Amino acid sequence: MNDPLEDLLDARLREEAPYIDDNGFTALVMQRLPSRPSSLQTQRSIVILSAAILSVVVAYFASGEGMFVHDTFARLSLLPPLQLLALFVVCGIAMLTSGVWAALSRTRSPIL
Amino acid sequence: MELSDADLLARVVVDGDHHAFGELVRRHQSPVRGMLRQLTRADVELADDLAQETFIRAYKNIRSFRGEAKFSTWLYRVAYNVFREHARKRKELVGIDEEQLQQQADPQTTDPALRHDLMSALGQLPLHERSAIVLCCQNGLSHDEAARVLDIPLGTVKTNVLRGREKLKKILSAWAT
Repeated sequence: MNDPLEDLLDARLREEAPYIDDNGFTALVMQRLPSRPSSLQTQRSIVILSAAILSVVVAYFASGEGMFVHDTFARLSLLPPLQLLALFVVCGIAMLTSGVWAALSRTRSPIL
Repeated sequence: MELSDADLLARVVVDGDHHAFGELVRRHQSPVRGMLRQLTRADVELADDLAQETFIRAYKNIRSFRGEAKFSTWLYRVAYNVFREHARKRKELVGIDEEQLQQQADPQTTDPALRHDLMSALGQLPLHERSAIVLCCQNGLSHDEAARVLDIPLGTVKTNVLRGREKLKKILSAWAT
């Protein structure tokens, strides 16, 4: 049989730990939070962007200061109008698909 | 669907998601504030200040949480450390220490009306026993979890709980007569 004093003590201890209403506590904490620490994802983005910019600069100088861009546009201007239109449509669809995919991959379920 | 603490933590760590951290604060504010109220002898204002400091420190150090224990256990540990630091500073600044408070709160000299309040009874226990009782008997932590929070051996937690309970029972039995 349980000691009645033990039971009384347990009951009283539990009574002394009621739920405390938030009453703006969370909002106060959120106001005082420091600006978000740079996440691993942010650091990764910075590295990728830097590498991309560096690659462009290297490619630009390695290709005779961008002569390949000039040549490409010259070749494109020689294409018949229908082929040029088809090329733009394909590029547009590819960019739209990538954009939609990127947007959907960022969508998550709500927190609450 | 409600996300688990682990999901919310992942969002905070990977995406720096403030809203996810807000949800964690909302979920855990009551037990953390309750524990600190007990440790500060029901000084609600001080306890809430320390609780805010606890969550801010938890946010800053969230990457050091490795998921070996429950998030709530980790939070209790942060809260206990914040309280200990505050108590140490207070002792240095004002010269008040636990032993002094202990003498002031002698059961024989306490207002009889206050004896009927378990809060005052808990306040009469030394910090190490009070912390163990608050964590294990009020907040439902296992002895093992409490040992992690308090950073003391498991056997010491058990002893502190046992001794604290014996003292509380003595006070309670005095109320009963």
